[in-house]
Amino acid sequence: MKRLQGLAAGIARVGAIAGGAMLLAAAVTICIDIFLRYAFSLTVGGADELSGYALAIASAWGFSLALLGRSHIRIDTVYVRVKRRRIRAMLDLLSLASFALFIALVAWHGWGVLQQSYASSSRSQSAIEAPLVIPQGLWFAGLAFCVAVALLLLARALVAFLKGDLATLFEAIGSKSAVAEAKEEITAVAHALGGNPGE
Amino acid sequence: MTAAISLIVLLVLLGSSIAVAAGMGLTGLILNQLYSAMPLTRMLGELTWSTSSNFILTAIPFYIMFGEILLRSGIAERMYNALVQWLSWLPGGLMHSNIGSCALFGSVSGSSVATAATIGVVAMGEIDKHKYNERLFLGTLAAGGTLGILIPPSINMIIYGVMTDTSVPKLYLAGFIPGFVLTVLFSLTVLIACLWRPHWGGEKIATNWEARIRTLPDLIPPLALLMIVVGAIFFGIATATESAAVGIIGALAITAWRRRLSLAMLRDVCEATVRTTAMVVAILVGAFFLNVVIQTIGLTQQLSRLITAYQLTPVQILTAVIVLYLVLGTFMEELSMMISTIPITTPLILHAGYDPVWFGILLVLLIQTAMVTPPFGINLFVIHGIRGRGTLSDVELGSAPFVIALLIMIGLICVFPDLAMWLPRLVG
Repeated sequence: MKRLQGLAAGIARVGAIAGGAMLLAAAVTICIDIFLRYAFSLTVGGADELSGYALAIASAWGFSLALLGRSHIRIDTVYVRVKRRRIRAMLDLLSLASFALFIALVAWHGWGVLQQSYASSSRSQSAIEAPLVIPQGLWFAGLAFCVAVALLLLARALVAFLKGDLATLFEAIGSKSAVAEAKEEITAVAHALGGNPGE
Repeated sequence: MTAAISLIVLLVLLGSSIAVAAGMGLTGLILNQLYSAMPLTRMLGELTWSTSSNFILTAIPFYIMFGEILLRSGIAERMYNALVQWLSWLPGGLMHSNIGSCALFGSVSGSSVATAATIGVVAMGEIDKHKYNERLFLGTLAAGGTLGILIPPSINMIIYGVMTDTSVPKLYLAGFIPGFVLTVLFSLTVLIACLWRPHWGGEKIATNWEARIRTLPDLIPPLALLMIVVGAIFFGIATATESAAVGIIGALAITAWRRRLSLAMLRDVCEATVRTTAMVVAILVGAFFLNVVIQTIGLTQQLSRLITAYQLTPVQILTAVIVLYLVLGTFMEELSMMISTIPITTPLILHAGYDPVWFGILLVLLIQTAMVTPPFGINLFVIHGIRGRGTLSDVELGSAPFVIALLIMIGLICVFPDLAMWLPRLVG
C-alpha cells in the first residue's frame, strides 16, 4: 500500500503541475487579451472564462496533492494537548474519514453536474461557447482521484492503527503542527531564494 | 437557539481537528438535516463548480503564483539591501529596513506569510552582525510581514470581496492609506523603543550617498511591478484578476532578466501554487456551502432579530465583533477564522449600518493582529522557524509592541473611518 501511495503522490504531482501550467497559460491569455483591447481596441473575450476553468481543474487536482502532503488546514488547538498517542491517531482517522466523506459528496454531486452538461450538451453562455463537458470532465476527474486517494490513505491508516503501528499512521495522515508547517514554508522559501547555482 | 446549536456543531467539529474544509461542509450537512426540509446537499456539485471557476477568485492563484515567481526572481534580496542603505540611519537601523521591505514587498504580494517568510529569510542573517536587540528585530519581521494583506494586492481582501459581494478594487483603494499609516506606526514603535533603550538599536551601519544612489536601480523592479499591479487597478484599467495576470508576466520577465528562469523553476512554481490554491479553495467550498445553509435556515435574520430585541447599538455590535476576533484570533488559524466567520459577522455589521468596504479593512487589521498574537499566530511560527534557535516566546515578546501599534490602528480606523474610505470615494 505504501507503493500505491507513492504512485498516487506521483500522479497528484503531475496533475498539480499540469493544473499550474493551465493557470500560467490562462494568465498569458489574459495579458494578450488586455494588450489587444488597448492596442487595437479588439475584444476577443473568453480569457476570463478559461482562467475560471483553469482554477476549477487545478484546485480539484490540488485537493489530493494537499491531502497527501497533509497540508489541508486543521485547527490543532485541542489535538496538540491530547497526550495519548492512540487518541491522537483516532482524531487523525476521524479527520480523514470526514474529509473523505465530504469530498465524496462533492464528487458525487459533481458527477451529476457533469452528466447534466453532457445530456443537454451545455455550452458556456459566452463568446467562446465552450462545451462545458471538457472542463467539467477534467474537474470531475480531479475530484474522483481525490476520493480514491482519501480512501487509500484511510485504508492504509486503518491497517496501521489495527496493527498498532502509530508511527506509520502519523506519517501518512497525522496533523502537521503549525511549527512544522512553518518550517516547511521556510525551507521552500530558502530554497527558492537561493535557487540559482549559476549566480 | 438555532444560532447556538450551529455554533456548537461548528466548534466541536473544528475543535476535534477535522480538516477545516470538511468541518464546515459537514456542519452545513448537519444543520441542513436538522433545520431544513430542502435537501441542499444536491447543490454541492453545482456550488463547488461555480465557486472554483469564479473569475474573481482566479485572482487568488494568480497572486500566489506571482509571489512564488517573485521569490525566485532575486528581487527580494536586492530590494532589502537597497532599503538598508536608505533607511538604516534611523535609530533602530535595519529594523526600519525590515518594516520598509515588508511594506514594499507587501505591496506586490498578496500574502502575509509569504511576505514574512521572504523578508525574514533575507534579513535574519543581520541580527548577529550588528548586535540588535534580538526580540525586537524578530518582532519587526513578524509584524511587518502582516502588512502583506493590508497593502494591496491582498488575497484576504479578494476572499472577503467575493464572499460579501464587495468591490475588490474599492477594498484595495481603502487598504492603501491604512497600510501606509500602519507602516509608519510600526516604524515609530521601533523609533520609540530605540530612543528609550538606545543599545537595542545595534551598531550603526556605514553608508554614504554614493552607495545609496548605486542601489537605486534595485528598487526599480519592485516599484515597476507595484505600478503595474496596483496602478492598473487604481486607474480602472484592469480588474484585480487581470492585474495579477499582468504581474505574473512582469515577474517572469524580471526573472528572465536576472537569468533565473528555467523549466525546473516553472515546475516548482506551478506545484507550489496549486498546493496552496487547493488548500484555500477547499475551505472556500466548505464555507460557501455552509453559507447557503445558514441563509436558507434563516440564521442571519434570527441573529438580527436577537440584536433588535436586545436593542444593541451599532457601537456595541462593533465592539462585540472586534472582541470576538481578538479572542478567536489568539488560537485559531487565521484564514479559517476569516472564512468561517464572515457569513455571520458581516451581515450583523451591515445591519448595524457600517460600510462593507470599511469593515473589510477593519477585518484585515484584526486578522493581522491574530497573526502575531499567541498561542496561534502564523507569522510568529514563520519567524521563529527562520531563526532556528531560541524560543517562540522571544518572537512573541518582540511582537508585543507591534500588537499595540495594531490596536492603535484599529482604534484609529474606527474613530476616523475616512482613513479607509477617502480614497475609494475619491476614485469611485
